Amino acid sequence: MEIHQITENKKDYMDILLLADPQEDMIERYLDEGEMFVLSENGDVLTVCVVLLMKNGNCELKNIATAEEYQRRGFGRYMVRYICEHYSKMCSFMYVGTGNSRQTLDFYRSCGFVNSHIVADFFVDNYREPIYEDGIQLIDMIYLKKQLDLSIDVKKVVDLALEAGKTILKNGGEIFRVEETIKHICGRFHVDDVETFILSHAIFVSAENEAGETYTRVMHLPLSSPHLGIVAEVNNLSREISAGHVGIEEASERLKEIEKIPPKRGYFQVLAAGLGSGAFAFLLGSTAPESIVAFFIGCILYVWVLAAKRASLSKIVVNIVGGAIITSLAVLATRAPGLSFLRLEGMIIGAIMPLISGVAFVNAIREIADSDFLSGTVRMIDALLGFAYIAIGVGVTLAGYHNIIGGVGV
Amino acid sequence: MIRDIVVNVAVPFVGTVAYVVLFNVPRKYYLSCGITGTVAWLVYRGMSMVGSAAVASFFAALAAVFLSRMLTVRMRCPITIFLLAGIIPLVPGAGIYYTSYYLVTDQLFLAADTGMDALKVAFAIVLGIAFVVSIPREVFQRHYWHGRKRRKRLKDVSEI
Repeated sequence: MEIHQITENKKDYMDILLLADPQEDMIERYLDEGEMFVLSENGDVLTVCVVLLMKNGNCELKNIATAEEYQRRGFGRYMVRYICEHYSKMCSFMYVGTGNSRQTLDFYRSCGFVNSHIVADFFVDNYREPIYEDGIQLIDMIYLKKQLDLSIDVKKVVDLALEAGKTILKNGGEIFRVEETIKHICGRFHVDDVETFILSHAIFVSAENEAGETYTRVMHLPLSSPHLGIVAEVNNLSREISAGHVGIEEASERLKEIEKIPPKRGYFQVLAAGLGSGAFAFLLGSTAPESIVAFFIGCILYVWVLAAKRASLSKIVVNIVGGAIITSLAVLATRAPGLSFLRLEGMIIGAIMPLISGVAFVNAIREIADSDFLSGTVRMIDALLGFAYIAIGVGVTLAGYHNIIGGVGV
Repeated sequence: MIRDIVVNVAVPFVGTVAYVVLFNVPRKYYLSCGITGTVAWLVYRGMSMVGSAAVASFFAALAAVFLSRMLTVRMRCPITIFLLAGIIPLVPGAGIYYTSYYLVTDQLFLAADTGMDALKVAFAIVLGIAFVVSIPREVFQRHYWHGRKRRKRLKDVSEI
């Protein structure tokens, strides 16, 4: 889908223009002087519009029409947004005149136009035949206007970009992606002078507008648990923004919606943790009964993890206590009557899998591979300490068990 | 035979998908995540017959990351989703357990040995990922290969 300006053979598009303005000689009045834009996809013409620059530094949208088979699919709105942006550099107001048709008025109002003035009897005086729309005869021309210089504001753009970057970083995206997203969003809204500096826990963005004024934002992000679904959604949104399908207001709205995406349901996560524990236990050489016990241990473990997350306990506590829970449950299982054939390691190896912070590990590697050693080492230490905490939890419990019970061969 | 297939295909698949659920990966990526995890595991199993665990992990990571990069281009989503799935069957969870077990039972020599092995595996995974990540992005996009063929054809024609 792309828009270009047409300078020659404008009459080729007359068929579509006539949809919006039924009298050909009225169109010819502005066709030569007006600037014409065409929205096309794979060679098909979807939407055509003509804008006339007026002498007082404003412009008027004279005609906009979408081919009949493509109507009601947002192409007109896309075109209006495009020309508003295009003319915002040279005009302060865009006017549009239309008949008294509720549908059309609503369309322009939803694009940000407000009432301006009325030219009485315009349609009766200028058109040979009466025009009817929705069963009502059009008589007066109603003018609407939209202020254009409001449409791009460096602050707004940077705030949006920062918000998107924050959402990605917080939910387990890599630094490279945060940088790209911020640059893409800023570039799309013509804020080209942007510098970013991103750490694993902070974002710095600084942008400059055409007047040379600098706008800088710094944001600190606390650690939180990864939600890759949100990262994927923001990534899609960023693609759509870059492609020009989403305006700045709509983008902020959608970003807020995305941030509200809840994590998977608790029981689903608990079951998944159990299933993961069982499957990996079996994979790493445990017997079937051990894997089944690992399934239950994994489930119980994740109930603890979820409860701890809700109480926002630190990772140290979650992992050490988690390791202890796994080991105690595994010890209990071997002591249960008739279950002495279970091996401790068979159950524990599987059950620690849900505790492993895979996203931190993967991201740490990504940053180091991208030569971002600062964030890479921070994240790598985060991941390795995560492993160490699990080991401490498991080790301390095992030691206690050996001391108290006197150590039974494992 | 059938048991082997189930153990080495279905179990890693289920395990990987279950694990990515914990990170709230959207449902539409479950299948590709499962496949990535399974491929990583199969390569790991195959390679561990001829080499050490670290060597096997390296090649498994290579395969997993390669597949992840192709999938991200195809499915237009962050690569982390697939990397996570590909790496998880290789993470030395057993190493962590044995290290802490030997430590608390005062078998320090064995503890150092297994701890070192776990570190080696982790490092092999790092290397595997770093290798494939540094390949330029265009290589994974389809038009690169189409363009290459066309370029080659053009070159052939011009040589005649």
